[in-house]
Amino acid sequence: MRLLSRKWVVPFGLLIILVMAVAACNGQGDKPFRIGVMESLTGPGETYGNVALQAKQMAVDEINEAGGIDGRMIELVVEDSKCSAQDAITAYNKLTDVDGIKIILGTSCSGAMLGAAPLAEKDGVILFSGLATNPDIAEAGDYIFRTSMSDAQLGVDTGNLLWADGVRKLVTITEATDYAEGVRRTTVAQFEKRGGEVVGAERYASDVTDFRTQLTKLFGENPDALHISAQAEFAGGTIVKQGRELGYDGPIYSEIVAVGKTALDIAGDAATGMKAVVADISPENAKGQEVLTNFQERYGEITLAWYLGSAYDDVYIAAECLKETGDDQDADGFRDCMYEVTWSGAIGENYSFDEKGEVVGLTNVVVQVLPAAERTVDNQGYNVLGSAPSE
Amino acid sequence: MATYPRGNSRLRALAARLSGSWRMSRSNFELWANLLVIVAAAGFMLWRGPGFAISVGTFVAIWAILAVSLNLLVGYTGLLSVGHVGFFGIGAYTMAILTSNPAYEQLRTEALPIFAWPFFAVLPICMAVAGLVAIAIGVVFNRFRDDIFVLVSFGFAVIAFNVFLNWEGLTRGAFGIHQIARPAIGPWVFDGEVEFLLLVVFFLGLVVLACWFIVTSSFGRVLAAIREDEEAIAVFGYRVVHYKLAVWVISAMMAGLAGGLFASYTTFIDPNSFILLESILLVSIVILGGLSSIWGSILGAMAFVLLEEGMRFVPFLPTEFIGQARQVVLGLLLVALMLFRPQGLVGRYKL
Repeated sequence: MRLLSRKWVVPFGLLIILVMAVAACNGQGDKPFRIGVMESLTGPGETYGNVALQAKQMAVDEINEAGGIDGRMIELVVEDSKCSAQDAITAYNKLTDVDGIKIILGTSCSGAMLGAAPLAEKDGVILFSGLATNPDIAEAGDYIFRTSMSDAQLGVDTGNLLWADGVRKLVTITEATDYAEGVRRTTVAQFEKRGGEVVGAERYASDVTDFRTQLTKLFGENPDALHISAQAEFAGGTIVKQGRELGYDGPIYSEIVAVGKTALDIAGDAATGMKAVVADISPENAKGQEVLTNFQERYGEITLAWYLGSAYDDVYIAAECLKETGDDQDADGFRDCMYEVTWSGAIGENYSFDEKGEVVGLTNVVVQVLPAAERTVDNQGYNVLGSAPSE
Repeated sequence: MATYPRGNSRLRALAARLSGSWRMSRSNFELWANLLVIVAAAGFMLWRGPGFAISVGTFVAIWAILAVSLNLLVGYTGLLSVGHVGFFGIGAYTMAILTSNPAYEQLRTEALPIFAWPFFAVLPICMAVAGLVAIAIGVVFNRFRDDIFVLVSFGFAVIAFNVFLNWEGLTRGAFGIHQIARPAIGPWVFDGEVEFLLLVVFFLGLVVLACWFIVTSSFGRVLAAIREDEEAIAVFGYRVVHYKLAVWVISAMMAGLAGGLFASYTTFIDPNSFILLESILLVSIVILGGLSSIWGSILGAMAFVLLEEGMRFVPFLPTEFIGQARQVVLGLLLVALMLFRPQGLVGRYKL
């Protein structure tokens, strides 16, 4: 074994060096605009990250096939930020330091975003996310933008919807993640502000698959409605299914995860009639539908429709601002352009960014799940009832 | 401190076996080849982007502190612990809670106290808290050995993670804590990456010195004897329980130190940084580097982090598959490494 090892270590080492040297030389040619992308390509957020990356790649290919930005192509430099602050920091340093990139689209996870944002703010590098929803990101700095709506907005809309539907006693079941917990807190805050009462609250860890004990406890409180806040579609669908199996027939409210395709497949007819407040690509939005069709054609399957639209729009907004500044190293010019821009794309029309880099002009809608037999790819399994009640 | 009894043949044989492990008697060819690869990788990163190399270097140094401290348990004493990440997290959370001074907290519904203490005042507290927790659970853990010890340390890692996640009044749960302070001496803030790297390397140096002192002392020889044959050393009147508790606490305090440095460097932590998987990675680093070798643990941490970060430079991958492909390559490299060097890069023992 030792002889073998001695024989192989040197060629093996040389191979690594060779590969790296090739990597070093791999980056010459005419000058495209270079944009960094940081998404959770592996680890807990990989579904979100991979969908976002696919949507971004699709948008870039479209722009390049149409002749680029004033003749210059766009090149994405992709790094994996793995949903963690540590990996976001090394990914960020790799992009800015090794590749010399000033404009980064990402990340898909709020934790990664909050890890890299202080660095981006200090260095004057743009960090532009289509997926991160933690409300704290609003305050992260001048160079930090997002097209994803803050959980705070979703919570206010859900709280108002509950109150408007006549719910006075609410129970909640929540996955212990930043997104799900953020939705619950802001929902409960708004619901209680309106005068409602939360009579039971349960939390579960991300790997739990049996919710019957917790649900039984909650239903024992005789609530008017159950609110589900999940991070994973599997859990969201299972809760609905097990809740109905336990004999609960009251209304169920949720957000986008529990009405995702996987969740509805698991819940089956148990989900029928469930209401959710979601960011949704409107059927009237021609651009949005076109993007979904193209995505379906290219990758064969649509998941997280709104988020892929958001990631897709980010590339076009970035292209618009690159066209104006004409320089991918000019982060300050890009930032100023972002504050000015008004965009109509896949996720909405005439939306823009406020002084905190938060998107304004997008709204959540209320949807109601259809019976299992009526669910199709086109209606995504639910009816859009209209925008969320404001007061 | 126990003195080393001269008159016993079994112990003498043990000692001879151990002292043999200090001498670099075997061919060092593989070691140098490994070193060459690592130095080449580090040099390559420095050449491509010094800032990137420095941030990778900082994580290497933090992981090296963790690996060296875990090696005290796994390599030198023979206690296979997969709960080390718990102490790492305790250190990190102590640093975060006591130094964080956020200007904004939109979701902070409970009024959490803000301490905003300086970094250098908190760092000893990180070690102390980790040490105290280690004493408390160590008293119980000491009753277990071998496979059972692995299981209870596994339990500790899971419990620690759940405390970080669910004790919202203290840790902010899944939201994590941001705006964690960087170290400062008077007006001089360690804001730059290089200064922080030097600081971490300084602490790594201290930890290595402490470990070296421990393993070469008579205390260290008793630890080695515990690893080889716990009953035998107990027969000679050594209170094995005390020795194991002592090394457990020392190791935990070092992990707490690493946690404090980690939190301060990232300025944001959430429970996802302290999952069980990190512990498993840590154990693989120690095994990869080589059991009962301080140098091996440092080398292991370097190899592991550099391999992972080096994957960012692998070319010719279609963007859609980048993440997965890197993981596969990394896994294959690790398997290859274990096939050719089951005793680790510079280690003497197989697990």
